[in-house]
Amino acid sequence: MPPIPMTRRGLITAGAAGLALGGAGLLRPAAAQVPVALQLSWLHSVQFAGSYIAQKNGWWRDAGLEVALLQGGPNAPVEPPVVAGTALVGISAADYAAAAVAQGAPFRIIGVAMQKNPFAIASLPDNPVRAPADLPGKRIGMAVANTPVLQALCRLNGIDMGAIQIVPTQYSAQPLLAGQVDCLLCWETDLPVAIEMQGLRAETMLLADHGYVLHSQTYIATDDSIANRRADLVALMAGEVRGWDACRADTDAAAELTVAMFPDAGLDLETQKLQARRQVPLMFSDLTDTQGFGWWSDESVEATIRTLSLMGRTVTPDLWDRSILEDLHG
Amino acid sequence: MTAASRWAGLAALLALWQGLALAGDGWLLAGPVQVAEWLWSNPGPTGRATAATLGNAAWGFLLGNGAAIGLAGIAALWPRALTLVAGLALVVFCLPLIATGPILRVLMGPGDGPQIVLAALAVYYTTLIPLLAGLRAMPQAWLDLVQSYGRGRWAELVHVRARAALPYLLAGLQISAPAAILGAMVGEFTGAERGLGVLTIRFTRDLDVPALWAAATLAAGLSMAVYAGIGWLGRRALSDPPPVILAAPRPVRGSPARKAAQAALLIGVVLVLWWAAVAGLNPFFARRPPDVAAALLWAPDAAATRATLGAAVAQTAGLALPGYAAGLALGAGLAVLLTLRPGLAAVTVPLAVALRSIPIVTTAPLVVLLLGRGATGTLTLVALMVFFPAFVACQQGLAQAPGPILDLFRSHASGPLRQMLHVRIPAMLPALFASARMTVPAAILAATVIEWLATGQGLGNLMALSASVSDYDMLWLTMVAATLLSALLYWAVAWAEGRVLAVMATEQVRP
Repeated sequence: MPPIPMTRRGLITAGAAGLALGGAGLLRPAAAQVPVALQLSWLHSVQFAGSYIAQKNGWWRDAGLEVALLQGGPNAPVEPPVVAGTALVGISAADYAAAAVAQGAPFRIIGVAMQKNPFAIASLPDNPVRAPADLPGKRIGMAVANTPVLQALCRLNGIDMGAIQIVPTQYSAQPLLAGQVDCLLCWETDLPVAIEMQGLRAETMLLADHGYVLHSQTYIATDDSIANRRADLVALMAGEVRGWDACRADTDAAAELTVAMFPDAGLDLETQKLQARRQVPLMFSDLTDTQGFGWWSDESVEATIRTLSLMGRTVTPDLWDRSILEDLHG
Repeated sequence: MTAASRWAGLAALLALWQGLALAGDGWLLAGPVQVAEWLWSNPGPTGRATAATLGNAAWGFLLGNGAAIGLAGIAALWPRALTLVAGLALVVFCLPLIATGPILRVLMGPGDGPQIVLAALAVYYTTLIPLLAGLRAMPQAWLDLVQSYGRGRWAELVHVRARAALPYLLAGLQISAPAAILGAMVGEFTGAERGLGVLTIRFTRDLDVPALWAAATLAAGLSMAVYAGIGWLGRRALSDPPPVILAAPRPVRGSPARKAAQAALLIGVVLVLWWAAVAGLNPFFARRPPDVAAALLWAPDAAATRATLGAAVAQTAGLALPGYAAGLALGAGLAVLLTLRPGLAAVTVPLAVALRSIPIVTTAPLVVLLLGRGATGTLTLVALMVFFPAFVACQQGLAQAPGPILDLFRSHASGPLRQMLHVRIPAMLPALFASARMTVPAAILAATVIEWLATGQGLGNLMALSASVSDYDMLWLTMVAATLLSALLYWAVAWAEGRVLAVMATEQVRP
C-alpha cells in the first residue's frame, strides 16, 4: 500500500483518541509484530472505517499487531477463514454466527459494532412505507435468502405476510426506481444512500425501530482463540474501539481516509461520507457512551434471541462472550 | 468480410446500443457516449482494474489451456486413459464457483490465486473436448502410413494428430477468451482487492450506471480483441484446405460390463481425490464423503434434506435443459447462417462475444426488463451462455468441409445450400457433438450462477443460502447434485454421438 498523506482531520482524530494502550500492558517491542488478519464481511468501504483509522494511525502496530484487513465480497463467506485460522477475527452478524454455531463452528461474539440492526425498508416518497402496517398490498423487492427477516418483522408487528408480494430481485435500487417494486428490503446504509446520491429522496423504515432487535456487524472469534490468544484479541479490539470512536468524531475524515486508502475500489467520496453519517447512529447509543464501543446489554441479547427464535433459530446467551471487552476496558 | 462491412457492422451495433440506452429510463443501460465520457474522466482506477483482471485472465488462459493440451496429449498417447481423463475433467469442471471460490480463498490467502484458478477452470474444458475430437480428425490412411514405418503413438501424435487437431485447438482458444475474463471477474467476488469484477459489484450497489457499463464494455472489448487476435492467428496458421477424411466403419466399442467397470473406477477415483483434497482442511467447511452421505441418507433430518435438494435440482434442471437445447440450436443455427451469409458476422460476432463476457450481474436487469422475472428470463440467460461455445465450435466444424469435395460440388454448379446440406453439415457433426458435450456442464453452471446472482431459485440459490448459513453439508450435496446432473446429461449426449458418428464420422469412433 502506498503511504497516505496525513490530512488535517486525520491528525486531529489521531490526537483526540481516548484509549491509552500503554497502561493496559499491551505494548510490546516493535520487533515482535504478531501477524493477524481481520476478515471483513464486504468490499472495502466506510462500513469498516474504524479499522482503517486504527491501521492508518499505527494503533495496532504500537500494540505489537501486524493486522491484515481481508476484504469480503459476494462469494467470500466470513466463517471459513475464521474457523481455518486464516483470520483471527471475522465480522459477521448474530444470525449468521448463530447458524454457524448450529453447524458446529466454535464461535463466540466478542463485540457488537451495530447496536441497531441496519436492515430497513426503502421506498419512494410518493408511495411510502413508514410503518409495518403500510406493507400489506405492496410489492417488496428482496433477496429470497432474506425471507426470514421479513417473516420476523411481520410476526413482531402482527402483519399478514401473505398480503405482501415478494419479488426476488438483485441487491440494487434499480427495480424500485424503475417502478417494478414499491419498496426494497435493504440496509439503511447502502441502497438508500445510492438513491439519494442520484438526487432522489428515499423513505426508510428501520426494522430495528419496529421490534427487530438483532446484533449486526458482530466480531466473532473461535473458542480456541479466546482461550489462547487473549492478548492479540484484546489488542485487536482495542484498535477497533479507538478507530470507531475516531470515526464517530469526524465521519467526513473517515470517508476521506477510506477513499484514499483504496483508490482502486471504485469508491465515491460523497457516497462514502453519507454512508458514514448514516451508520454512526446505528453503532453508538447511551449504552456505548457509558460502556464503550462494541459493548452490549443483557436485554439486547435476550431480544436478539427472541428475534432469532422467530426466524427459526434456537440460541443461548453462551453465544456472546464479553470477557475480551471486559479485559480491554479494565 | 471486407473491412468496410466490418466497420459498418460495428457502427450499426453502437447505434443500436445508444438507441436502447436512450429509450430506457437511465437506471438500466448507459450508452456508448456516456461510457466513453466516464472512461475519459476516470482513467486511473479503470486502467488498474483492467490490468489486474486481464493479468489474471491471461494466467488462467495459459494454465487452463496448457492443462487441456496436456490432458488431450495423455489421452492420445494412452487411449485407455481417455474415459478416466474425460470423466475427471468433467467432474472438475462441474465444481460450482460459489463453492470452490471460498475454499480457494482459504487455501491461497489474499492475492490473485483464486482469480487465476477460477479463470483456468472456466476455460480448460471447452478446449479439451474439441481437442479430443481434433486428435481423431484425420483419414485412417495417415495413421496407417505412420504404422507402416513401424512408428508408435508418439510419432502419430507429433506428426499426424497434432497437425489435424490445430483448427480444433484454435476454436477452443477462441471460446476461452471471454470465458477466462469472466472467470477472473467472478473469482474477484471471493474478496479480491481490485479488478473489473470488484468494480462491477460496487457500481451495481451504488447505482452508477455509466460506470457499470464502462466496466462491462472494457470486459467485452478485451474479450473481442483476444477473440479476433486468435482468429487472425488461425487464418495465418491454417492455409491448407481440410482433407477428405475416410475411415472404415467400426461397431461402437465396449460391453455394458466394461462400461460399468469404467464408471465405477471413475467414481472411486473421484472419491479418493475428494478425500485427499480436503484432508488438511477444517471439517467445518471441508466436508468428507461420509459426512455428506450421512446428511443425505441417515441423519435425523435426511428426509427434509432430500426434499429440499430434490426440489432445487428439479427447478434447475427444468431451466437448464430447455436453455441448453435452445442455446445449442441457436449456436449451430447461427454458424450455418453465417456460412451462408458471411456479411452478417460483422454485427453478430461482436454481440455474441459481448454477451458471453459481460457478467450476469450487469446483464440480468436488462434481461429481466425485456423478458420478465419468470422462467423465460433464466432460460434465455442459460441459452446465451451455451450459445457462444456451440457457435464457435460449429463454425469451425463447418470450415472442416473437405476442399476437394466442395470443388466437385462447385464444378457441378451446386449452390451454397446444397453444399451446406451434403458437405458442410456432415463435416460439422464431430464439432457439433463435441460442443454439445462440452456445453452440458456449462449449461448447468450457467443456470446455477443465474439463480445465485439474479433469480434466487433452484440449486444456485440453495448453494448461496447454504454458504451464508454455514450449512456445508447441503453445500457439498448441491455440488454432488450439480455434478451428477451434468454427468447424466453428458453421457446421454455421448450415447447419441456414438450412434450418429459411427455412421457419419467413423474416424471419431475408432480406437
